[in-house]
Amino acid sequence: MKAICLASLMTVVLFLGVTLAFRLAPSAHRVRRMTAIYGICGVILTVLWLASPDDLGILPRSWLVAPAWFDLVLALFFFSAAYFGGVLQLYNLADRGFSLRMLIDALESPDGAIDVDRVLASYSAGQGMRWMYDKRMHGMLEQEVVHRAGGSIVLTAKGERAADLFIAIRNFLRLDDRP
Amino acid sequence: MSQSAALVAVALAAAWFCAFLGAHVIGWRAGRGNAQWLVRCYAASILGMLISVTACTAGSGLCIVLALMTSGCLFVVYVPAVYTVLTSLSVQTLILLGRAGGALPEAELYARFSGRPIVADRLATLAASGYLTHEQERFRLTIRGRMIAALFARLKELWKLGAGG
Repeated sequence: MKAICLASLMTVVLFLGVTLAFRLAPSAHRVRRMTAIYGICGVILTVLWLASPDDLGILPRSWLVAPAWFDLVLALFFFSAAYFGGVLQLYNLADRGFSLRMLIDALESPDGAIDVDRVLASYSAGQGMRWMYDKRMHGMLEQEVVHRAGGSIVLTAKGERAADLFIAIRNFLRLDDRP
Repeated sequence: MSQSAALVAVALAAAWFCAFLGAHVIGWRAGRGNAQWLVRCYAASILGMLISVTACTAGSGLCIVLALMTSGCLFVVYVPAVYTVLTSLSVQTLILLGRAGGALPEAELYARFSGRPIVADRLATLAASGYLTHEQERFRLTIRGRMIAALFARLKELWKLGAGG
């Protein structure tokens, strides 16, 4: 139970740390910054776990995990899942979610409605769909999975490996065989 | 608690999660609907896990909580990976390029990924998922859609993310 208490506490600290970092010192490399904060919080969590009593001064004996080392492993696992599956995903959805942005556009629309033409012209508070794909393209160019050659977009070696992997996954799951 | 009860509980949670993964993938290959099948498989795996953890650890409350936490953590890491393969436009771009021999005209990619069909398709998916209602060609938020949109709009404001999307 110590693992759950400390991992939960550190997740709150991580969320607050990310919030402060985003608000006080905006940066173009938000994911890198979030991951650095996660790393620092992970170290603090480990130190906190080692320095605190097994029962945290409040837990009944029946709620202590044995062997003790396993409790530390669980604390780090729970905390990592809270970051990679929680805080980082919240960020990805909030910053890059395509469908989510359409819902927010509908929420912010004066008449509370959207249609295809409106999304095409003014997706994401007036920026339009071309801007949306520009953002993806810029990300792919920055990650060096594609490069521009004349009027074409070409996979790099890294991009080819990624494409092969995703194609293999989609083929295995038969995602493209459906009507 | 015995030295091994927590280990057993977490191992059982991991094993049931693997069973869920297997069932999910088998269903996927058989053409089952994505979100509904995912939730049903996961619910069944949670039920199986609770029964086996209760039986193997004499109903220890701590073991049940650890197993639920372990399963929940594995699930929240797995689901984003699934949706990346299913819906990410960057991933779809790489796949399209891979299938086209590695290169495509930029204009063709823009026509495909920022054009009318992809918007119409995504609006229809949102309507089918219960986030939007459809009135002729216009879409309005449902209560569920409004809640999600408002929640994330506040998060974007809190984190100063700008319009994004």
